[in-house]
Amino acid sequence: MLTIDRRSWLLRLPLGILVLVLVALCSEPVWAAPQEADPEYRALPFISSRVLMWAVAELHLMFAAFVLAVPIFALVIEFIGYKTGDKRYDQLAYDFTKLLSVSFSFTATLGALLTFALIVFYPALTQYLVKIFSWTFLPYVLLFFLEAFFLYAYYYGWGKLSPRLHLFLGLMLNIVGTAIMFIANAWLTFMNTPNGIDEMGNLTNIWEAINNYIWMPINIHRIIANVAFGGAIGAAYGAFKFLGAKTLEARAHYDWMGYIGIFVAICALLPLPFAGYWLGVEIYAYDQSLGITLMGGTFSWLFIVQAVLIGNLFLAANYYLWLSMARIPGAERFRGFIKYLLGIITLCFIVWATPHSLVATVEEARAMGGSHHPILNVLGVMSAKNTAVNLLILTTYVSFLLYRRANKEAIVSWAKTGNWVQFGIFAAVVIYVVFLGVYGYFVDAQTRIGLSRPQVMSVLFAMVSVTVIDIFLFKNAKSRGEIVWGKISARSQYALFFLAITFTWLMGLMGYVRAGMRQHWHVYGVMRDTSVDAFTPTLGFAGGVVSAIVIVFFLLIAIVFFLAGLSGRKDWEPKSGSRWVRAKASAPTEDS
Amino acid sequence: MNLFVFLAIAAAMVLIQFVVTRWVKLNRLAWMGIWWVALWAAFSYGINPPLPNSIILLFMAIITIALVAYLSADNEELKQAQDSIVRFMVARQYRVALLIVLFAIPAAVAAWTYVSMNEAPQPPSSGRTIHPPPPSSITFEGTAIDLTTANNPIRELQHTDEAAFAEHVANGRRIYFENCFYCHGDNMQGAGMFAHGYDPLPANFNDATTIAMLQESYLFWRIAKGAPGLPSESTPWSSAMPAWEDFLTQEEIWDVIIFLYEFTGFEPRAQGMPH
Amino acid sequence: MKQALKIFGFTIVVSVFYWYVSLWVPQKRTEPPEDIEIAANLTIEEMIPIGEEIVAGKGTCLTCHTMGDHGTGLRFPDLAGIGAIAGERVEGQSDVEYLAESMYDPNAYVLEGYVAGMPNVARPPIALSDQEILTVIAYLQSLGGTPTVTMDTQLEWQGQAPASQDVAPVAVGGNRDAETLFTAYLCNTCHSLDGTAGAGPTLQGLGGRMSKAEIYEAIVDPDATVTEGYVAGVMTVMLDANGFREQVSASELQALVEYLATL
Repeated sequence: MLTIDRRSWLLRLPLGILVLVLVALCSEPVWAAPQEADPEYRALPFISSRVLMWAVAELHLMFAAFVLAVPIFALVIEFIGYKTGDKRYDQLAYDFTKLLSVSFSFTATLGALLTFALIVFYPALTQYLVKIFSWTFLPYVLLFFLEAFFLYAYYYGWGKLSPRLHLFLGLMLNIVGTAIMFIANAWLTFMNTPNGIDEMGNLTNIWEAINNYIWMPINIHRIIANVAFGGAIGAAYGAFKFLGAKTLEARAHYDWMGYIGIFVAICALLPLPFAGYWLGVEIYAYDQSLGITLMGGTFSWLFIVQAVLIGNLFLAANYYLWLSMARIPGAERFRGFIKYLLGIITLCFIVWATPHSLVATVEEARAMGGSHHPILNVLGVMSAKNTAVNLLILTTYVSFLLYRRANKEAIVSWAKTGNWVQFGIFAAVVIYVVFLGVYGYFVDAQTRIGLSRPQVMSVLFAMVSVTVIDIFLFKNAKSRGEIVWGKISARSQYALFFLAITFTWLMGLMGYVRAGMRQHWHVYGVMRDTSVDAFTPTLGFAGGVVSAIVIVFFLLIAIVFFLAGLSGRKDWEPKSGSRWVRAKASAPTEDS
Repeated sequence: MNLFVFLAIAAAMVLIQFVVTRWVKLNRLAWMGIWWVALWAAFSYGINPPLPNSIILLFMAIITIALVAYLSADNEELKQAQDSIVRFMVARQYRVALLIVLFAIPAAVAAWTYVSMNEAPQPPSSGRTIHPPPPSSITFEGTAIDLTTANNPIRELQHTDEAAFAEHVANGRRIYFENCFYCHGDNMQGAGMFAHGYDPLPANFNDATTIAMLQESYLFWRIAKGAPGLPSESTPWSSAMPAWEDFLTQEEIWDVIIFLYEFTGFEPRAQGMPH
Repeated sequence: MKQALKIFGFTIVVSVFYWYVSLWVPQKRTEPPEDIEIAANLTIEEMIPIGEEIVAGKGTCLTCHTMGDHGTGLRFPDLAGIGAIAGERVEGQSDVEYLAESMYDPNAYVLEGYVAGMPNVARPPIALSDQEILTVIAYLQSLGGTPTVTMDTQLEWQGQAPASQDVAPVAVGGNRDAETLFTAYLCNTCHSLDGTAGAGPTLQGLGGRMSKAEIYEAIVDPDATVTEGYVAGVMTVMLDANGFREQVSASELQALVEYLATL
């Protein structure tokens, strides 16, 4: 019943074993339940098997995302350290890498648990997917071995190998990791937008099944989102160590680590909406009703929750930058700008979170003359939201610009002109973006969707051109004093935690909608979900599950942080005295 | 938009900024409170038709987060705010004010609980169509009536035979008060004695958006077929309007329609005008 | 340790806050569509409510279509009063035929101002049976008109729906661009772009002669209007033979029409 691609007999033997194992697991009830021969589903007592599946898959995904993301920027930071010869960068990259080995083990364990759960709870679906993707499981396993090799070589080889060889190992680690993700993405995107199969669900072309409509968009989207997520978790580690640091050097180092981590996260966050936009376009291209279910139908309220999360991300990122100015002498000059930036952010946040169809009581609906409010209606549509998000991005950029020039004073002769030109670019772009947003109300839908492109391009143009001017403007600038790393309030570190939690929650929510938009299908349009869990739960229920997953994830991450912290400890020495002292020494101390 | 409310709020803010601060020094915490109240007032009273409560809650939540972020974005300002709170709690001169606040907070919670517990239960909200599109024809006691062309046969009498017309109006009045008045009310405002039990409320015929913009044939359809005859596209719909074809004759329905227009003083929309 | 507990408490507070946000929005649980038993001897009156249920439920029609919304910027045409106008949309088609074609072959005729994109509802993932489609036609006819369709009405499209539930949609092509399609499906063997005559009329200046809707029709139903001097049926046979109808996706077709309209 399980067919294998005929091309290579070499692949058959190991795959045959794998398949036999799978079949054995599928057909034998794992715990005594000698009912009919091949049950399609198995249930659990107390907890729905779907929720367990959901939690395991999401946790696996979060750890996997972290393990894939950290090598990307660890490698970049290491490379910067290698080029500039600055030891601090090397140390920072190593600090990030320390988190990897335990996380990798967690990822693998959760992955095994996920596979086990799939086979036990969803045997029919698993069998179908194995049938479609036959030999692709093999390179996956091989690549996993390679990943383990490169990861541990990269970690244990730190400072022991020649820098070039070490960088090469890091590069291979990234390539292998990305390849693993691409393969796994093919399996799961197939369930959303199946392709390469005939009317009866039989495979016709495996490449088409792999390269289905949303495979590439998901790949790209996940790489970017992983970096944002990894950066945020890395920053949380920095904050965690900062709060427990005993020495000034340690404070300075971990303050810096948190800053770099969140800088990476925000940089990756900015292009994410555009990758998401591409993903949405492909979903619509595959099946319009799937797209509408996602954006306008069952899940439309989910995107209001998403707007709240992303609004909070922007707000917290700006907040962190403002607090960070405390460590820069001369930053007090820019303090007055904060309230205006905050005003713009709040306004954009409000526009973005305004739902199109409102929750109103009967009395309120009567007063409005229907379910739509004449004024809010204007804010609920695409044009307003696009404008808001573009202005949010621009405002965050301005915050960063102020941070960047906080301790600098331009000495070039054209300083005043340069400033005015920068201001002019901002003003022109803001006016243009707002104009396009308003113009969007007066054109048909097709043109309106097209307007988002010039909006994005003009914002990108503003960011690039202003940065270029800024670099020349502050060449050899007079400094008002060095940045004092470590001189920052504890609040800022909680802002970092807040960002990390929000990123994680957002990831859980988006993971839910990716899987949930199939509604009552396992494989959309091909394999119906006939289990008792075929319904789509309420958003509140989904939110509760996501919250629980996030809390479990942070419990596990706390273990990772604790274990990563062990390597930096002094050797344990028996102290003279009572058992109490020894017990205390071996227990986690205050900084964990 | 209610411009006066906005102007009043802006004027109050300007007043505080330039006049009140001469006597009282306001720290950032106080300013936060002022902004919060001002924005809340603007959202609650400055926009017409009023925003739903759920939206005001959402907006104020965002604004609260933003204001807290602003307050804590500056170490000195935060310290000042903290100090002023501490001072308020420990300084002797504020003892009375503190007691009032300590009493007011639980009292406010209690009052809020009391009010919300005493609110009439609200039915779940639902979207609905105010004027469902009529079918092109209906059958009344076995005969087909084309709604796109049907005219009120009584309407002709208005200009030809005023006495007979007045008789029909009187008959319509009798029918109205025998049948319709219990829900639609003696002033036709949709506020009859049973009206409060219904959602949607009985139609208010004095409202310029009800019978004034409808053709008489539309009214005939609505009266004859009632809620059971509503087209399914206007669901969800829980109208309690009976199907009067079971109780009234065709002529009686036309009579009561005449009476509705005579009583309210509206003219029916002419046949052939696009809906 | 105290620090770690504090941070963990903070994590719980923030997570619960977001949970609260997700509880604040409307809570709706979406059940999977139920299969409705349809007896063969339903009367017209009995068909209408079943059709209505399918339109709102299993057919997922209301995801895109509206009922009584005359606003601008609708995704798909509004269906209120469709029973009154269905017979007049396409010349030569009765209202039953038009409604049936709109479901079995939705992009054969696309109302001016709308974009093709509705799937064949007889196919998965919607996969309505022929009987279910008959009840939907009865319901749509009842919107502003009088239903004439019965459970015995024969339609030319019937019988194509796969019997089983768990089968896949036709594997649609992808996102090839218009020029690729133009040569891949051998359009260029009959139609020239430079004005020279061929087995089919030249496409030079096509955008000036025909609206996009007409171009759509000319591709998906080539025999609806045949240019004078050319033979009907040739293009239909050609497109059937080279797999155009099975392989070209809605978005590709749209791209092709956009391209042809620029000629």
